[in-house]
Amino acid sequence: MTADQVARTPTARPTKPARSPWVPLSLLIFLGLTWAAASEELGIGFDIGELIGNFTRGFPFLADFWSPNWAFLPQTYEPMLETLRMSIIAAAIGCSVALPISFLASRVTTPNLAVYLADRGILNVVRAIPDILYALIFVAALGIGALPGILALVLFNIGVVVKLLSETVDGVDPGPIEAANAAGGNRTQAVRWAVLPQVLPNYVAYSLYVFELNIRASAVIGIVGAGGIGRLITTERRFFNYDNLSVILIEIFVFVFLIELISISLRRRLV
Amino acid sequence: MIRFKNASVTYPGGVQALKNVTLEIPDGQMMVIVGLSGAGKSTLIRAINGLVPLTGGDVLIDDVSVRHARPRQLREIRSKIGMIFQTFNLVKRTTVLNNVLMGRLHGAGTMRSVLGWYREADVEIAMRSLERVGIVEKAYVRASNLSGGQQQRVGIARALAQEPKIILADEPVASLDPPTSHVVMRDLQRINTELNMTTIINLHFLDLAKVYGERIIGMRAGELVYDGTGAKADENVFRDIYGRSLTADDLMGEAGAAASTTG
Repeated sequence: MTADQVARTPTARPTKPARSPWVPLSLLIFLGLTWAAASEELGIGFDIGELIGNFTRGFPFLADFWSPNWAFLPQTYEPMLETLRMSIIAAAIGCSVALPISFLASRVTTPNLAVYLADRGILNVVRAIPDILYALIFVAALGIGALPGILALVLFNIGVVVKLLSETVDGVDPGPIEAANAAGGNRTQAVRWAVLPQVLPNYVAYSLYVFELNIRASAVIGIVGAGGIGRLITTERRFFNYDNLSVILIEIFVFVFLIELISISLRRRLV
Repeated sequence: MIRFKNASVTYPGGVQALKNVTLEIPDGQMMVIVGLSGAGKSTLIRAINGLVPLTGGDVLIDDVSVRHARPRQLREIRSKIGMIFQTFNLVKRTTVLNNVLMGRLHGAGTMRSVLGWYREADVEIAMRSLERVGIVEKAYVRASNLSGGQQQRVGIARALAQEPKIILADEPVASLDPPTSHVVMRDLQRINTELNMTTIINLHFLDLAKVYGERIIGMRAGELVYDGTGAKADENVFRDIYGRSLTADDLMGEAGAAASTTG
Protein backbone atom coordinates (compact mmCIF):
# COMPACT_ATOMS: atom_id res chain seq x y z
CA MET A 1 0.00 0.00 0.00
CA THR A 2 1.35 3.38 -0.94
CA ALA A 3 0.84 6.73 0.67
CA ASP A 4 -1.35 7.81 -2.25
CA GLN A 5 -3.98 5.17 -1.57
CA VAL A 6 -4.10 5.93 2.12
CA ALA A 7 -4.88 9.60 1.57
CA ARG A 8 -7.99 9.05 -0.57
CA THR A 9 -10.80 9.30 1.98
CA PRO A 10 -13.43 11.66 0.55
CA THR A 11 -13.97 14.91 2.47
CA ALA A 12 -16.64 17.54 1.84
CA ARG A 13 -15.37 20.56 -0.04
CA PRO A 14 -15.46 23.77 1.98
CA THR A 15 -17.97 26.47 1.07
CA LYS A 16 -16.55 29.80 -0.03
CA PRO A 17 -16.23 32.06 3.00
CA ALA A 18 -18.38 35.22 3.03
CA ARG A 19 -16.73 38.30 1.63
CA SER A 20 -15.23 40.51 4.28
CA PRO A 21 -17.20 43.77 4.72
CA TRP A 22 -14.02 45.64 5.58
CA VAL A 23 -12.83 46.21 2.03
CA PRO A 24 -15.91 48.13 0.72
CA LEU A 25 -16.38 49.75 4.12
CA SER A 26 -12.85 51.16 4.32
CA LEU A 27 -13.14 52.31 0.70
CA LEU A 28 -16.32 54.20 1.63
CA ILE A 29 -14.67 55.74 4.68
CA PHE A 30 -11.73 56.81 2.53
CA LEU A 31 -14.00 58.45 -0.06
CA GLY A 32 -15.99 60.14 2.71
CA LEU A 33 -12.86 61.57 4.31
CA THR A 34 -11.61 62.86 0.96
CA TRP A 35 -14.94 64.57 0.32
CA ALA A 36 -14.92 66.11 3.82
CA ALA A 37 -11.38 67.38 3.40
CA ALA A 38 -12.29 69.09 0.12
CA SER A 39 -15.73 70.41 1.12
CA GLU A 40 -16.53 74.04 1.90
CA GLU A 41 -18.02 73.30 5.34
CA LEU A 42 -15.54 70.79 6.79
CA GLY A 43 -12.42 71.19 4.72
CA ILE A 44 -10.43 73.56 2.59
CA GLY A 45 -13.19 74.39 0.12
CA PHE A 46 -11.60 72.83 -2.92
CA ASP A 47 -13.51 73.98 -5.99
CA ILE A 48 -12.70 72.33 -9.30
CA GLY A 49 -14.60 75.04 -11.23
CA GLU A 50 -12.34 77.69 -9.80
CA LEU A 51 -9.32 75.65 -10.83
CA ILE A 52 -10.53 75.45 -14.43
CA GLY A 53 -11.69 79.08 -14.54
CA ASN A 54 -8.43 80.56 -13.27
CA PHE A 55 -6.16 78.08 -14.96
CA THR A 56 -5.04 80.42 -17.72
CA ARG A 57 -4.02 83.17 -15.33
CA GLY A 58 -0.58 81.61 -14.90
CA PHE A 59 0.05 81.37 -18.62
CA PRO A 60 2.08 84.61 -19.02
CA PHE A 61 4.52 83.32 -16.40
CA LEU A 62 4.60 79.91 -17.98
CA ALA A 63 5.39 81.53 -21.31
CA ASP A 64 8.68 82.75 -19.83
CA PHE A 65 9.41 79.24 -18.71
CA TRP A 66 9.18 78.05 -22.31
CA SER A 67 11.97 80.38 -23.38
CA PRO A 68 14.84 79.74 -20.95
CA ASN A 69 17.46 82.43 -20.83
CA TRP A 70 20.58 80.39 -21.54
CA ALA A 71 22.82 83.43 -21.12
CA PHE A 72 22.01 83.14 -17.42
CA LEU A 73 23.56 79.65 -17.23
CA PRO A 74 27.14 80.66 -16.22
CA GLN A 75 25.77 82.52 -13.20
CA THR A 76 24.21 79.28 -11.91
CA TYR A 77 27.48 77.31 -11.90
CA GLU A 78 28.78 78.57 -8.56
CA PRO A 79 25.53 78.03 -6.52
CA MET A 80 24.89 74.71 -8.30
CA LEU A 81 28.38 73.56 -7.38
CA GLU A 82 27.68 74.61 -3.81
CA THR A 83 24.49 72.56 -3.85
CA LEU A 84 26.42 69.53 -5.15
CA ARG A 85 29.08 69.92 -2.46
CA MET A 86 26.47 70.32 0.27
CA SER A 87 24.55 67.29 -0.99
CA ILE A 88 27.62 65.04 -1.13
CA ILE A 89 28.90 66.06 2.30
CA ALA A 90 25.45 65.72 3.89
CA ALA A 91 24.80 62.34 2.23
CA ALA A 92 28.25 61.03 3.27
CA ILE A 93 27.85 62.07 6.91
CA GLY A 94 24.15 61.22 7.13
CA CYS A 95 24.48 57.76 5.58
CA SER A 96 27.52 56.85 7.70
CA VAL A 97 25.72 57.81 10.88
CA ALA A 98 22.52 56.11 9.70
CA LEU A 99 24.14 52.69 9.19
CA PRO A 100 24.69 51.71 12.84
CA ILE A 101 21.47 53.44 13.90
CA SER A 102 19.54 51.36 11.36
CA PHE A 103 20.72 48.11 12.96
CA LEU A 104 19.58 49.43 16.33
CA ALA A 105 16.18 50.22 14.82
CA SER A 106 15.38 46.64 13.76
CA ARG A 107 14.27 43.84 16.05
CA VAL A 108 16.26 41.39 13.93
CA THR A 109 19.57 42.91 15.00
CA THR A 110 18.49 44.51 18.29
CA PRO A 111 16.55 42.05 20.46
CA ASN A 112 16.79 44.47 23.40
CA LEU A 113 13.33 46.06 23.45
CA ALA A 114 14.35 49.20 25.37
CA VAL A 115 17.20 50.08 22.99
CA TYR A 116 15.00 49.38 19.98
CA LEU A 117 12.10 51.52 21.22
CA ALA A 118 14.38 54.39 22.26
CA ASP A 119 16.07 54.39 18.86
CA ARG A 120 12.75 54.23 17.00
CA GLY A 121 11.29 57.00 19.17
CA ILE A 122 14.17 59.40 18.57
CA LEU A 123 14.11 58.61 14.87
CA ASN A 124 10.39 59.33 14.65
CA VAL A 125 11.00 62.76 16.11
CA VAL A 126 13.94 63.39 13.75
CA ARG A 127 11.79 62.40 10.79
CA ALA A 128 8.71 64.32 11.90
CA ILE A 129 10.53 67.66 11.63
CA PRO A 130 10.59 68.85 8.00
CA ASP A 131 13.95 69.70 6.43
CA ILE A 132 13.02 73.37 5.96
CA LEU A 133 12.41 73.70 9.70
CA TYR A 134 15.86 72.26 10.42
CA ALA A 135 17.27 74.78 7.97
CA LEU A 136 15.46 77.64 9.72
CA ILE A 137 16.77 76.52 13.12
CA PHE A 138 20.36 76.12 11.94
CA VAL A 139 20.33 79.38 9.97
CA ALA A 140 19.10 81.14 13.10
CA ALA A 141 21.83 79.51 15.16
CA LEU A 142 24.76 79.64 12.74
CA GLY A 143 23.88 82.37 10.29
CA ILE A 144 23.32 82.25 6.53
CA GLY A 145 25.51 79.90 4.49
CA ALA A 146 26.21 76.35 3.44
CA LEU A 147 26.96 74.93 6.92
CA PRO A 148 23.40 75.22 8.33
CA GLY A 149 22.17 73.73 5.05
CA ILE A 150 24.51 70.76 5.39
CA LEU A 151 23.42 70.14 8.99
CA ALA A 152 19.75 70.30 7.99
CA LEU A 153 20.37 67.83 5.17
CA VAL A 154 22.34 65.48 7.45
CA LEU A 155 19.40 65.15 9.85
CA PHE A 156 17.00 64.78 6.95
CA ASN A 157 19.21 62.02 5.46
CA ILE A 158 19.54 60.11 8.72
CA GLY A 159 15.76 60.06 9.03
CA VAL A 160 15.20 58.73 5.52
CA VAL A 161 18.02 56.15 5.44
CA VAL A 162 17.30 54.71 8.90
CA LYS A 163 13.62 54.34 8.04
CA LEU A 164 14.29 52.52 4.77
CA LEU A 165 17.32 50.49 5.87
CA SER A 166 15.91 49.29 9.19
CA GLU A 167 12.87 47.99 7.33
CA THR A 168 15.17 46.21 4.90
CA VAL A 169 17.03 44.68 7.86
CA ASP A 170 13.68 43.44 9.19
CA GLY A 171 13.31 41.40 6.04
CA VAL A 172 16.73 39.72 5.77
CA ASP A 173 17.16 35.95 5.74
CA PRO A 174 17.68 35.08 9.43
CA GLY A 175 19.53 31.86 8.55
CA PRO A 176 23.03 33.38 8.33
CA ILE A 177 22.47 35.18 11.66
CA GLU A 178 21.70 31.82 13.25
CA ALA A 179 24.87 30.43 11.67
CA ALA A 180 26.98 33.29 13.04
CA ASN A 181 25.47 32.79 16.51
CA ALA A 182 26.04 29.05 16.33
CA ALA A 183 29.69 29.69 15.49
CA GLY A 184 30.10 31.65 18.71
CA GLY A 185 30.16 35.09 17.08
CA ASN A 186 28.81 38.05 19.04
CA ARG A 187 26.03 40.35 17.86
CA THR A 188 28.31 42.92 16.25
CA GLN A 189 30.05 40.19 14.27
CA ALA A 190 26.73 38.67 13.22
CA VAL A 191 25.54 42.07 11.99
CA ARG A 192 28.78 42.64 10.09
CA TRP A 193 29.02 39.26 8.37
CA ALA A 194 25.47 37.90 8.26
CA VAL A 195 23.30 41.03 7.87
CA LEU A 196 25.40 43.75 6.24
CA PRO A 197 26.23 41.75 3.09
CA GLN A 198 22.52 41.09 2.63
CA VAL A 199 21.46 44.74 2.85
CA LEU A 200 24.50 46.34 1.18
CA PRO A 201 22.92 46.85 -2.28
CA ASN A 202 19.90 48.48 -0.65
CA TYR A 203 22.13 50.67 1.50
CA VAL A 204 23.98 51.92 -1.55
CA ALA A 205 20.71 52.54 -3.37
CA TYR A 206 19.26 54.47 -0.41
CA SER A 207 22.45 56.52 -0.11
CA LEU A 208 22.27 57.53 -3.76
CA TYR A 209 18.58 58.24 -3.32
CA VAL A 210 19.16 60.68 -0.46
CA PHE A 211 21.95 62.33 -2.45
CA GLU A 212 19.36 62.93 -5.15
CA LEU A 213 16.83 64.15 -2.55
CA ASN A 214 19.47 66.55 -1.23
CA ILE A 215 19.83 68.27 -4.58
CA ARG A 216 16.10 68.87 -4.68
CA ALA A 217 15.87 69.74 -0.98
CA SER A 218 18.71 72.25 -1.19
CA ALA A 219 16.60 74.18 -3.71
CA VAL A 220 14.01 74.59 -0.94
CA ILE A 221 16.24 75.14 2.09
CA GLY A 222 18.26 77.72 0.15
CA ILE A 223 15.11 79.87 0.23
CA VAL A 224 15.52 80.31 4.00
CA GLY A 225 19.19 81.15 3.62
CA ALA A 226 20.86 77.75 3.87
CA GLY A 227 23.04 78.15 0.80
CA GLY A 228 23.14 76.46 -2.57
CA ILE A 229 20.98 76.82 -5.64
CA GLY A 230 17.97 77.73 -3.51
CA ARG A 231 19.50 81.11 -2.77
CA LEU A 232 19.59 81.88 -6.48
CA ILE A 233 16.03 80.61 -6.94
CA THR A 234 14.79 83.06 -4.28
CA THR A 235 16.43 86.05 -5.90
CA GLU A 236 15.30 85.23 -9.43
CA ARG A 237 11.76 84.47 -8.27
CA ARG A 238 11.58 87.79 -6.47
CA PHE A 239 12.40 89.64 -9.68
CA PHE A 240 9.98 87.48 -11.66
CA ASN A 241 12.80 86.24 -13.89
CA TYR A 242 10.99 83.10 -14.91
CA ASP A 243 13.22 82.62 -17.93
CA ASN A 244 16.19 82.36 -15.55
CA LEU A 245 14.28 80.09 -13.17
CA SER A 246 13.56 77.83 -16.10
CA VAL A 247 17.30 77.40 -16.66
CA ILE A 248 17.79 76.46 -13.01
CA LEU A 249 14.94 73.96 -13.14
CA ILE A 250 16.35 72.30 -16.25
CA GLU A 251 19.76 72.15 -14.59
CA ILE A 252 18.35 70.48 -11.46
CA PHE A 253 16.46 68.04 -13.66
CA VAL A 254 19.65 67.14 -15.55
CA PHE A 255 21.57 66.54 -12.34
CA VAL A 256 18.84 64.41 -10.79
CA PHE A 257 18.59 62.42 -14.00
CA LEU A 258 22.37 61.86 -14.12
CA ILE A 259 22.42 60.67 -10.52
CA GLU A 260 19.59 58.30 -11.32
CA LEU A 261 21.62 56.87 -14.23
CA ILE A 262 24.69 56.40 -12.03
CA SER A 263 22.52 54.87 -9.35
CA ILE A 264 21.01 52.32 -11.74
CA SER A 265 24.39 51.21 -13.08
CA LEU A 266 25.87 50.97 -9.58
CA ARG A 267 22.98 48.91 -8.32
CA ARG A 268 23.20 46.53 -11.26
CA ARG A 269 26.86 45.95 -10.42
CA LEU A 270 26.13 45.33 -6.74
CA VAL A 271 23.11 43.03 -6.72
CA MET B 1 30.79 14.11 26.35
CA ILE B 2 27.33 15.61 26.00
CA ARG B 3 24.88 14.89 28.80
CA PHE B 4 21.16 15.69 28.76
CA LYS B 5 19.74 15.71 32.27
CA ASN B 6 15.93 15.79 32.29
CA ALA B 7 16.16 18.45 29.61
CA SER B 8 12.84 20.07 28.71
CA VAL B 9 11.86 22.83 26.31
CA THR B 10 8.46 24.52 26.28
CA TYR B 11 8.09 27.18 23.62
CA PRO B 12 6.37 30.49 24.47
CA GLY B 13 3.26 29.29 22.60
CA GLY B 14 2.93 26.39 25.05
CA VAL B 15 4.21 23.64 22.77
CA GLN B 16 6.34 21.18 24.70
CA ALA B 17 9.05 20.28 22.22
CA LEU B 18 11.33 18.37 24.59
CA LYS B 19 10.07 16.38 27.55
CA ASN B 20 12.49 15.26 30.24
CA VAL B 21 15.14 13.94 27.92
CA THR B 22 18.06 12.18 29.56
CA LEU B 23 20.81 11.11 27.23
CA GLU B 24 24.57 10.67 27.05
CA ILE B 25 26.59 11.06 23.90
CA PRO B 26 30.21 9.96 24.26
CA ASP B 27 33.03 11.72 22.40
CA GLY B 28 33.55 10.72 18.81
CA GLN B 29 30.17 9.10 18.31
CA MET B 30 28.16 9.43 15.09
CA MET B 31 24.57 9.66 16.22
CA VAL B 32 21.49 10.03 14.06
CA ILE B 33 18.16 11.35 15.35
CA VAL B 34 15.00 10.24 13.56
CA GLY B 35 11.38 11.16 14.06
CA LEU B 36 8.44 12.84 12.34
CA SER B 37 8.59 16.57 11.77
CA GLY B 38 7.53 18.27 14.97
CA ALA B 39 8.87 15.43 17.11
CA GLY B 40 11.51 17.68 18.65
CA LYS B 41 14.59 16.70 16.63
CA SER B 42 15.60 20.27 15.80
CA THR B 43 14.94 21.38 19.37
CA LEU B 44 17.13 18.57 20.72
CA ILE B 45 19.99 19.60 18.46
CA ARG B 46 19.62 23.31 19.22
CA ALA B 47 19.51 22.62 22.95
CA ILE B 48 23.10 21.42 22.71
CA ASN B 49 24.50 24.78 21.60
CA GLY B 50 21.86 26.86 23.36
CA LEU B 51 20.23 28.26 20.23
CA VAL B 52 17.01 27.07 21.87
CA PRO B 53 17.04 27.84 25.61
CA LEU B 54 16.01 25.03 27.98
CA THR B 55 13.04 25.57 30.26
CA GLY B 56 13.84 22.61 32.50
CA GLY B 57 16.72 20.28 33.33
CA ASP B 58 20.15 20.89 31.82
CA VAL B 59 22.56 19.99 29.07
CA LEU B 60 26.20 19.57 30.05
CA ILE B 61 29.06 19.67 27.58
CA ASP B 62 32.21 18.31 29.18
CA ASP B 63 30.50 19.04 32.49
CA VAL B 64 29.82 22.69 31.62
CA SER B 65 26.17 23.72 31.87
CA VAL B 66 24.66 25.22 28.74
CA ARG B 67 21.56 26.41 30.52
CA HIS B 68 23.40 28.42 33.14
CA ALA B 69 26.14 29.77 30.89
CA ARG B 70 26.51 33.55 30.76
CA PRO B 71 26.39 35.03 27.22
CA ARG B 72 30.18 35.10 26.97
CA GLN B 73 30.51 31.53 28.21
CA LEU B 74 27.79 30.43 25.84
CA ARG B 75 29.70 31.90 22.88
CA GLU B 76 32.76 30.05 24.15
CA ILE B 77 30.81 26.78 24.22
CA ARG B 78 29.33 27.44 20.78
CA SER B 79 32.74 28.11 19.30
CA LYS B 80 33.59 24.47 19.97
CA ILE B 81 30.40 23.21 18.30
CA GLY B 82 30.06 23.43 14.52
CA MET B 83 26.57 23.52 13.05
CA ILE B 84 25.22 22.56 9.65
CA PHE B 85 21.74 23.57 8.52
CA GLN B 86 19.02 22.24 6.26
CA THR B 87 18.92 25.43 4.20
CA PHE B 88 22.72 25.91 4.44
CA ASN B 89 22.32 29.40 5.97
CA LEU B 90 25.03 30.88 3.82
CA VAL B 91 25.24 34.55 2.97
CA LYS B 92 24.64 34.09 -0.74
CA ARG B 93 25.83 37.51 -1.80
CA THR B 94 29.35 37.12 -0.51
CA THR B 95 32.23 34.81 -1.31
CA VAL B 96 32.61 31.22 -0.19
CA LEU B 97 35.72 32.18 1.80
CA ASN B 98 33.88 34.93 3.67
CA ASN B 99 31.21 32.42 4.59
CA VAL B 100 33.77 29.91 5.85
CA LEU B 101 35.58 32.63 7.80
CA MET B 102 32.37 33.02 9.80
CA GLY B 103 33.58 29.90 11.55
CA ARG B 104 36.59 31.90 12.79
CA LEU B 105 34.56 34.81 14.22
CA HIS B 106 34.88 33.68 17.81
CA GLY B 107 38.66 33.67 17.89
CA ALA B 108 39.14 36.67 15.61
CA GLY B 109 38.10 39.45 18.01
CA THR B 110 35.33 41.95 17.32
CA MET B 111 37.32 44.87 15.89
CA ARG B 112 39.49 42.69 13.69
CA SER B 113 36.59 40.69 12.25
CA VAL B 114 34.33 43.71 11.77
CA LEU B 115 37.04 45.37 9.66
CA GLY B 116 37.59 42.09 7.83
CA TRP B 117 41.26 41.90 8.85
CA TYR B 118 41.37 38.20 9.54
CA ARG B 119 44.72 36.82 10.64
CA GLU B 120 46.60 34.79 8.06
CA ALA B 121 46.27 31.77 10.33
CA ASP B 122 42.47 32.11 10.27
CA VAL B 123 42.41 32.33 6.48
CA GLU B 124 44.69 29.29 6.36
CA ILE B 125 42.29 27.28 8.55
CA ALA B 126 39.37 28.34 6.35
CA MET B 127 41.23 27.27 3.21
CA ARG B 128 42.13 23.92 4.76
CA SER B 129 38.49 23.37 5.70
CA LEU B 130 37.50 24.01 2.09
CA GLU B 131 40.16 21.55 0.95
CA ARG B 132 38.74 18.93 3.27
CA VAL B 133 35.34 19.12 1.59
CA GLY B 134 36.95 19.37 -1.85
CA ILE B 135 35.83 22.81 -3.06
CA VAL B 136 38.82 25.02 -2.31
CA GLU B 137 38.82 26.14 -5.96
CA LYS B 138 35.53 27.97 -5.24
CA ALA B 139 37.01 30.06 -2.41
CA TYR B 140 36.53 33.40 -4.18
CA VAL B 141 33.28 32.52 -5.93
CA ARG B 142 29.99 33.98 -4.73
CA ALA B 143 28.09 31.44 -2.66
CA SER B 144 24.97 32.01 -4.77
CA ASN B 145 26.80 30.64 -7.82
CA LEU B 146 27.21 27.17 -6.30
CA SER B 147 24.87 24.19 -6.59
CA GLY B 148 22.94 22.97 -3.55
CA GLY B 149 25.40 20.19 -2.80
CA GLN B 150 28.35 22.56 -3.08
CA GLN B 151 26.62 25.08 -0.83
CA GLN B 152 26.11 22.45 1.84
CA ARG B 153 29.79 21.58 1.63
CA VAL B 154 30.59 25.24 2.22
CA GLY B 155 28.31 24.92 5.25
CA ILE B 156 30.35 21.95 6.42
CA ALA B 157 33.61 23.82 5.79
CA ARG B 158 32.28 26.73 7.87
CA ALA B 159 31.61 24.33 10.74
CA LEU B 160 35.04 22.73 10.35
CA ALA B 161 36.74 26.12 10.38
CA GLN B 162 35.71 26.39 14.02
CA GLU B 163 37.96 23.38 14.70
CA PRO B 164 35.12 22.04 16.81
CA LYS B 165 34.81 19.00 19.02
CA ILE B 166 31.19 18.49 18.09
CA ILE B 167 29.33 18.79 14.80
CA LEU B 168 25.57 19.30 14.80
CA ALA B 169 23.71 18.78 11.55
CA ASP B 170 20.03 19.73 11.34
CA GLU B 171 18.52 17.86 8.36
CA PRO B 172 21.67 18.43 6.31
CA VAL B 173 20.42 16.63 3.21
CA ALA B 174 16.71 17.50 3.23
CA SER B 175 17.20 20.13 0.50
CA LEU B 176 19.40 17.89 -1.68
CA ASP B 177 18.78 15.19 -4.29
CA PRO B 178 19.55 11.56 -3.38
CA PRO B 179 23.04 11.19 -4.98
CA THR B 180 24.20 14.52 -3.53
CA SER B 181 22.75 13.52 -0.17
CA HIS B 182 25.04 10.51 -0.06
CA VAL B 183 28.07 12.61 -1.01
CA VAL B 184 27.33 15.02 1.86
CA MET B 185 26.62 12.20 4.31
CA ARG B 186 29.88 10.51 3.41
CA ASP B 187 31.71 13.83 3.95
CA LEU B 188 30.21 13.95 7.43
CA GLN B 189 31.11 10.31 8.08
CA ARG B 190 34.69 10.88 7.00
CA ILE B 191 35.00 13.95 9.21
CA ASN B 192 33.64 11.93 12.12
CA THR B 193 36.19 9.13 11.71
CA GLU B 194 39.22 11.13 10.56
CA LEU B 195 38.90 14.09 12.93
CA ASN B 196 37.13 12.19 15.68
CA MET B 197 34.43 14.83 16.08
CA THR B 198 31.22 13.87 17.85
CA THR B 199 28.62 14.13 15.09
CA ILE B 200 24.88 14.48 15.72
CA ILE B 201 22.61 14.46 12.70
CA ASN B 202 18.86 14.86 12.25
CA LEU B 203 17.62 12.77 9.38
CA HIS B 204 14.31 12.30 7.68
CA PHE B 205 15.07 9.21 5.65
CA LEU B 206 15.23 5.96 7.55
CA ASP B 207 17.47 4.12 5.10
CA LEU B 208 20.05 6.95 5.34
CA ALA B 209 19.82 6.78 9.11
CA LYS B 210 20.51 3.04 9.08
CA VAL B 211 23.49 3.36 6.74
CA TYR B 212 25.24 6.24 8.52
CA GLY B 213 24.04 6.06 12.10
CA GLU B 214 26.45 4.35 14.43
CA ARG B 215 23.74 5.00 16.99
CA ILE B 216 20.13 5.93 16.33
CA ILE B 217 17.87 7.93 18.61
CA GLY B 218 14.14 7.94 17.96
CA MET B 219 11.98 10.88 18.99
CA ARG B 220 8.21 11.14 19.20
CA ALA B 221 6.28 14.11 20.60
CA GLY B 222 9.34 15.44 22.41
CA GLU B 223 10.23 12.17 24.06
CA LEU B 224 13.03 9.70 23.51
CA VAL B 225 11.38 6.49 22.29
CA TYR B 226 14.34 4.58 20.89
CA ASP B 227 18.05 4.41 21.57
CA GLY B 228 20.10 1.74 19.89
CA THR B 229 22.50 0.81 17.13
CA GLY B 230 21.73 1.38 13.48
CA ALA B 231 21.99 -2.34 12.82
CA LYS B 232 19.26 -3.19 15.32
CA ALA B 233 16.85 -0.54 14.06
CA ASP B 234 14.53 -2.54 11.83
CA GLU B 235 11.17 -1.71 10.32
CA ASN B 236 9.31 -2.47 13.55
CA VAL B 237 11.46 -0.03 15.47
CA PHE B 238 10.83 2.76 12.96
CA ARG B 239 7.12 1.96 12.91
CA ASP B 240 7.18 2.41 16.64
CA ILE B 241 9.03 5.73 16.44
CA TYR B 242 6.69 7.09 13.77
CA GLY B 243 3.57 5.70 15.36
CA ARG B 244 2.30 4.57 11.95
CA SER B 245 3.19 2.19 9.16
CA LEU B 246 6.06 3.23 6.91
CA THR B 247 5.55 4.62 3.41
CA ALA B 248 7.80 5.21 0.43
CA ASP B 249 8.16 8.82 1.54
CA ASP B 250 10.12 7.71 4.57
CA LEU B 251 12.86 6.24 2.42
CA MET B 252 15.29 8.02 0.17
CA GLY B 253 15.23 5.00 -2.12
CA GLU B 254 17.36 2.97 -4.47
CA ALA B 255 18.47 5.84 -6.70
CA GLY B 256 20.57 7.31 -3.95
CA ALA B 257 21.90 3.98 -2.71
CA ALA B 258 23.00 3.00 -6.23
CA ALA B 259 24.81 6.28 -6.70
CA SER B 260 26.50 5.85 -3.37
CA THR B 261 28.17 2.61 -4.41
CA THR B 262 29.49 4.08 -7.64
CA GLY B 263 30.23 7.58 -6.37
